[in-house]
Amino acid sequence: MGILGKIFYTKEKGNFKRLKKWEGELNKCIRCGYCYELCPLFKTNNWESDTPRGKLLLIYGMITNEIKPSQEIADKLFQCFYCKNCSDNCSAGVPVTEILSDARADLIDAGFDVEGTIVKVDEDLCSVCGVCVPVCKYEALSIEPDGKDKSKIVVDKIECRGCGLCVSACPSGAITQKEGCEITLPELHTKISDLLKENKDLKAIVFCCNWSLFPGMQLSESPTIVKTPYSVIVSMCSGRVAPELMLNALEEGAWGVMVAGCPPEECDHDGNYKTRRRLVLLKNMLKELNIEPDRIKLDWFSTGESAKLKKSIDDFVKKLEKLGPIKKMEVSKEIGG
Amino acid sequence: MKIDIEKLKKIVGEKNFSDNPADLYVYGADASVHHSLASAIVRPNNIEEVQKIVRYANKNKIPIVPRGAGSGTSGHTVPIDGGIILDMKRMNRILEIKPEDMLVKVEPGVVDDDLNKALKPLGLFYPPAPASSRIATVGGEIAANASGVRSVKYGATRDYVLGLKVVLANGKLVNLGSNTRVHSAGYQLERLIVGSEGTLGIVVEATMGIVPIPKYRCLAVANFDNLEDAGNAISEIISSGSQPSMLELMDKIGIIAVNKAMDLNLPEVGAIIMFEADGNVKSAVDFEIKKMKEICEKHNGTGIEMSYDVAERTRLFSGRKKLFASLSKYKEGIICTDLADDMGVPNSKIAVTAQKIHEIAERNNVIMAVYGHCGSGVIHTKIMLDPKKKSQWKDAEKVIEELYDFVHSVGGVTSAEHGIGLSKAPPWKKARKDILPVMKSIKKALDPNNIMNPHKLMDAPDDWVGATNLRYKVG
Repeated sequence: MGILGKIFYTKEKGNFKRLKKWEGELNKCIRCGYCYELCPLFKTNNWESDTPRGKLLLIYGMITNEIKPSQEIADKLFQCFYCKNCSDNCSAGVPVTEILSDARADLIDAGFDVEGTIVKVDEDLCSVCGVCVPVCKYEALSIEPDGKDKSKIVVDKIECRGCGLCVSACPSGAITQKEGCEITLPELHTKISDLLKENKDLKAIVFCCNWSLFPGMQLSESPTIVKTPYSVIVSMCSGRVAPELMLNALEEGAWGVMVAGCPPEECDHDGNYKTRRRLVLLKNMLKELNIEPDRIKLDWFSTGESAKLKKSIDDFVKKLEKLGPIKKMEVSKEIGG
Repeated sequence: MKIDIEKLKKIVGEKNFSDNPADLYVYGADASVHHSLASAIVRPNNIEEVQKIVRYANKNKIPIVPRGAGSGTSGHTVPIDGGIILDMKRMNRILEIKPEDMLVKVEPGVVDDDLNKALKPLGLFYPPAPASSRIATVGGEIAANASGVRSVKYGATRDYVLGLKVVLANGKLVNLGSNTRVHSAGYQLERLIVGSEGTLGIVVEATMGIVPIPKYRCLAVANFDNLEDAGNAISEIISSGSQPSMLELMDKIGIIAVNKAMDLNLPEVGAIIMFEADGNVKSAVDFEIKKMKEICEKHNGTGIEMSYDVAERTRLFSGRKKLFASLSKYKEGIICTDLADDMGVPNSKIAVTAQKIHEIAERNNVIMAVYGHCGSGVIHTKIMLDPKKKSQWKDAEKVIEELYDFVHSVGGVTSAEHGIGLSKAPPWKKARKDILPVMKSIKKALDPNNIMNPHKLMDAPDDWVGATNLRYKVG
């Protein structure tokens, strides 16, 4: 880009005043890449530009005028779940998520407006009941005046962490997230169905919290080698695992469903309290349907406790093998849709 | 260079093709100081797709740069001539594990640590283990002949390559090597691909040897007041016939950096040596550790700690594992660049080379840490400088020239395990003028249109600073 071009773009698309202070920190990134095998977004999308180090390079390119800010860049930079697996494991100490928050703010100032992993409220469906507001630990949702007599739910696009707890809390189904990162209910439903279709011997579906457990659970694909009687689905927070997902798994042939989350006092989002309450209700519901409540299991694990997780899963699978397949499934086909 | 986008999309599917500027910018860098833009990125999923892409590129004389984790330190995957980047990470299937034959068959995108996670329940492991094993792919390790902390006992990637399926520049698939530990039938072509940095063909499947996990591992740490004593202790451990399964050095700069980055509270002495022995008989492991401990003590090593416990070994080793990435924390305003990073020297020259590195760095206004798998002769350094100052890049150029002249004068090699790429090409070409024509002939025979990762290794520019844009903003 020529000098005139650089001046034009800087003027036109914002001056990145927040990001410029990070130039020194961005230089510290040695690009070792230790961050990216821990990134759930990279694991889903698999492009280098989805990695934390890739995003840092894009930001560096923008503030040094080597690359024009664009919708594609904004799309990438607005995708982050703030699990901090990257910054916690960065030996160079680059505060990746802080930099990403400033990138969001600067890009919004520059006129870019994208969804990324941020939640969206459908005003036609929203009754402004306000249930979602206290659910968000980051105060990213608020009720704001909308004209003279009305009000609406407003999302703070810089503060939203994309955990999706508000999505599962909204009684009207008005809050959604963009598809493409394997976090929406339809995407997770599809994933469960595919897993059960691919492996007829599958006994259990295990939902694992991204924050505490994902880093220890990854494995390159090994379809012919590692045949386990369970499959792991990474959920953003255990509070995000909706009951209909679990029923969906049982309905489609799983013998049981396990949810692995952070211990209550360690959850970043306070989502696990909600999980615990939901699972009590779900177990009662299973009893009504003549299904053994033990087919649903909830267990807590701190970061790095993958050995404990493995044992817990193995114990659960043993229990399921004793119980055998579900004899009679009386859940309505409507549930879980 | 005009690329037929629709053709490439048809081969790999729309979702696995990109030519948007954000992707091109990000794929223009690896872990080196270099940056350059390609015209397109494709992510093939199987051998047939790789063949189709290569045939298209060869017919149209478009450069192809295969890429694994992008963790190379010398610019191997930086597309200096533009063209198509082949992101091989989708081909990440472990195809077969055969404990009865002690081998695995994998696709090139399998991550080293993931392979070891799959092998562990069977009591087996794949030993090359570079420090970047968390992300490094088997394909990339083959391309660079990577090795790591266990190379002193278990060797490098080349020692585990039994057979390779390779797509050549004309798109043909060839099966090189065998499924057996030995074969004697002409040229060892699978070995030719090892260390070829993507310039001869694209590895699409690898048959690799594996070994049993030893029953006992004991790791020890010794402190030294100065680098000379530590270097001499390492040389004597090797020449005495000891069999360490790991023998690592960290100098004071490295120690300070990891203490800052990780709050490890290591003693900030002149140097630390980490030595490990492994085996199935505990008394034999004890014997090796005792012998190495005595040699360390003879060379004024103190505060020797040792442990068989996994958690304790992990704690003792954690600083070394993350040293490379921690160096940017050493001093404010100074960052760690991947330059002059992996020379190999004869066993008797460890101490003198380590000291020389510090001397050259000091004289040229940069900081250099000295560490590495010194038991196998690998000395890692990094040049730490202020990347914004043009004068510092001039300093780096001088350091590199002086340092490699010294390394070559004592019988050492430019690169022990990271490869040549772009930034190490000038000193390597200067030292190995004799083999360059041979390498060029081989390249021409296998890749007459010069499409496979062109202008790397023997064909790389003589000025590494000007070879590409630097990924730092200078001035």
